Amino acid sequence: MNKHFKKRQPASVRPLTTAFLILVLVASSINMAQAGRAEVKPAYALVNCRIFPVAQPVIEKGTIVIRDGLIEAVGPAGKIQIPEDAELIEASGLNAYPGLISAHTNLFLETKEQSQTATPEEYLEALSQPAEPKEFPWLQIVEKIKPKKQTVEAYHRAGITTVVVAPHEGIFQGQSVVLNLNSDQVSKMVLAQPWALHINFTTERGVYPSSPMGTLAFLRQKFYDTQHYSQHLQKYRQSPQFLKRPEYDPFLEALLPFVIDKKPIVFQCNNLEEIKRALKLIKEFKLNAVLTGCNEAWRVSQQLKSASIPLLVTLDFRAPASSVYAQQGQAIREKAEKELYPANASNLAKEKINFSLTSFGLNDTNFVKNLRAAIKAGLPADQALRALTIEPARTLGLDKQLGSLEPGKIANLILTKGELFDEKTSIVKVMVDGTLFTYEEKGQ
Amino acid sequence: MREKIKKTGLLLSLLVFFLSSASWLLAGGDLLIKNATILTVTGNTIPNGDVLVINGVIKQIGQNLTAPAGVRIIEANGRYLMPGIIDTHTHIALSGTNEGTDAVTPEVTMAEVVNADDTSIFTALSGGVTMVHTMHGSANVIGGTNVVLKLKWGKPSEELIVKEAYPTLKFALGENVKQSNRTLLPGRPQRYPATRMGANALIRSELMRAKDYMAAWDRYEQLKKSKNPPANLLPPRKDLRLETLADLLRGKLIARCHAYVAPEMIEFLNLSREFGFKIGAFEHAWEAYKITNELKAAGVGISVFIDSWAYKMEAAEGIAYNAAYCTQKGILVSINSDSGERIRRLFNEAGKAVKYGLTQDEALKLITINAAKQLGVDRLVGSIEVGKQADLALFSQHPMSAYTRCEMTIIEGDVYFDREALLKERAAASTKKGGLL
Repeated sequence: MNKHFKKRQPASVRPLTTAFLILVLVASSINMAQAGRAEVKPAYALVNCRIFPVAQPVIEKGTIVIRDGLIEAVGPAGKIQIPEDAELIEASGLNAYPGLISAHTNLFLETKEQSQTATPEEYLEALSQPAEPKEFPWLQIVEKIKPKKQTVEAYHRAGITTVVVAPHEGIFQGQSVVLNLNSDQVSKMVLAQPWALHINFTTERGVYPSSPMGTLAFLRQKFYDTQHYSQHLQKYRQSPQFLKRPEYDPFLEALLPFVIDKKPIVFQCNNLEEIKRALKLIKEFKLNAVLTGCNEAWRVSQQLKSASIPLLVTLDFRAPASSVYAQQGQAIREKAEKELYPANASNLAKEKINFSLTSFGLNDTNFVKNLRAAIKAGLPADQALRALTIEPARTLGLDKQLGSLEPGKIANLILTKGELFDEKTSIVKVMVDGTLFTYEEKGQ
Repeated sequence: MREKIKKTGLLLSLLVFFLSSASWLLAGGDLLIKNATILTVTGNTIPNGDVLVINGVIKQIGQNLTAPAGVRIIEANGRYLMPGIIDTHTHIALSGTNEGTDAVTPEVTMAEVVNADDTSIFTALSGGVTMVHTMHGSANVIGGTNVVLKLKWGKPSEELIVKEAYPTLKFALGENVKQSNRTLLPGRPQRYPATRMGANALIRSELMRAKDYMAAWDRYEQLKKSKNPPANLLPPRKDLRLETLADLLRGKLIARCHAYVAPEMIEFLNLSREFGFKIGAFEHAWEAYKITNELKAAGVGISVFIDSWAYKMEAAEGIAYNAAYCTQKGILVSINSDSGERIRRLFNEAGKAVKYGLTQDEALKLITINAAKQLGVDRLVGSIEVGKQADLALFSQHPMSAYTRCEMTIIEGDVYFDREALLKERAAASTKKGGLL
């Protein structure tokens, strides 16, 4: 493919390349020794790499010019003018991909350490505390996150440069943020804030709603209440005379942009039935929705196909407790988790259903491991790449900025030794918003 | 022993897998069952009879019937064919049982939390059960709306729901709702109501609220329709809790009330007269034998256990003759399992009614046509009649015999349980390495 692109470099570039080659080699060997070194230069030129732009066909030998954190030019070597002030990165033998996007994570959130060794007294004490509902539709998770350098680095090594950080408590969990993993400073990282309201089909403990059917009734009632609240507010704004003012309701206020103004709502669907429940609610209240979780999506592929709702499919292969595969002992569960759940994505692909893949519920290493398992189970590698780049970028409404290597987009890219999803591939350089991170190869 | 149970359980589960693969099931729902002892339930028993099923419906019953080419023929060899068993009170195939945080939760809908993956469905099929009324629990005075399912194992949840059945709303009285047997944790207040009169008062006040709610909507609709509706006209807040109760008052829902003792049932009958709502049946109704005249006059049936009384105070005056005696007094009685395990031997439970005074035919009705009547589906199922859906169970001996065993369970002409085929699959699976999924 693209053999005609394999042209020699124009004469003007050649002396430069040769001169820098040694320099870069020396520099990179130094970088190898210092894992996770970050640097920012006004401009970079990645030369002689194989480019997987996602939006266009693969460029066997190409150049990517980056300036001020944005992609200035992408193309076959020789077709691209390398700016004089650009720091040259010799990348022959390396593959360049857009940075991967995991559109559902709970990164950088502090989770309460759950004590495993509570005494019976402590247990009773905790139980007798009056139960409080854990509902936070107004929560801006951006205010809660504490980025850590090590986590950023771990995710870089998994190829991930952009994440959605979503809240994870309650039914109405709060509002998520999209972050570029460019540093550990929240203000620099934010790409979209807030992105979406997150709803999980879970239950409360000790307070209403404590059952799956209670949760559905609770959700529906809140949606109806929001509609009524909005109607009342609107009437009151039009003519406040002879109309009692609506009572201020922070819960419903928080829902207005999502239920009425149709900003995105993400429904976390932990099993096949929850996917169906979400589809029903979405239709009923005409919501602009996205489904996340969905590791049993293949079991409802026909409904998903006709609904054409964006899907964020987790690579977490653990069978949900309600599943027929989880009710019959460990042997069957393990077998299902090894054979059926990893094929979820490939089954969706076969049905021509668009989806994104996420690392939701996984850490960085499991993400990479499971991604390879999904590909082994039949998901074509190019589709896996799309499901981690352009597809999530579209779902996030950020496809003008992210998801492919194209001029004008944000310079989020990864350089790998070997093809991205191969067993022995390692990620050697990561660029996020133009900041270059260089990593030691695995096993060195 | 434990190891053995574990092993059997695993083997059974392998079979569940084979069942869940659709290829195992017959498509089309055409069958000819030959040479069965047909327990029609509503008519005479037919020895050496044949039943022809086309498109899931019973087309012909008789002798020496022939099937169109390609239709599967099942040789019954004189074994007993009965209508699929109907359990009028279970909680299987659901993702939840109780919304117990509040004493009043009619807004919750069991039809929305059907879990077709629940292996209890298969357990039930192995006992000849084809239909269940699966309900909200009895943790609160007014529970949720219940759902009737056909146990089409392997089919998606929405295909299990029987839309023709009565829509029912669960009520409960007695120890469960009063939380009489619950140890209160320090710091936790006791939930209202904690007494019998409290439960009664709560139902009354909720129904009165529902009446007000209906009136508010009526007012709004009228104003909206008037020539000059007021500019500030706002609809009332839609309240799902009261919507459901309004549906009960409008006659769109039928009450099913969990009650043990006679006075509570009488109180609930009074409430139904006061507010004009319908009662489908009393659940458990251990003391129904004390109030047969009242139940008969009200036309209210009961859904009960056959024996196993006295497991708590309010069941202390239960008697094993309850079901038989009430049947003889002309009350519509069904036997329920209320359990994902007992459901597979519901025919044994009904069979015990023979000991307490019923004929075999009468006992059989407790888990077939009577149950179908209580659920409002007797024109579709509950007996073997031409034109009814082919929900059938084949037994090795008379189903009311203690030595019988369910051999095959059929829903709408599709075989969902076949003991013989299953045993073969089991043998194959146990020798095949890793052939589980």
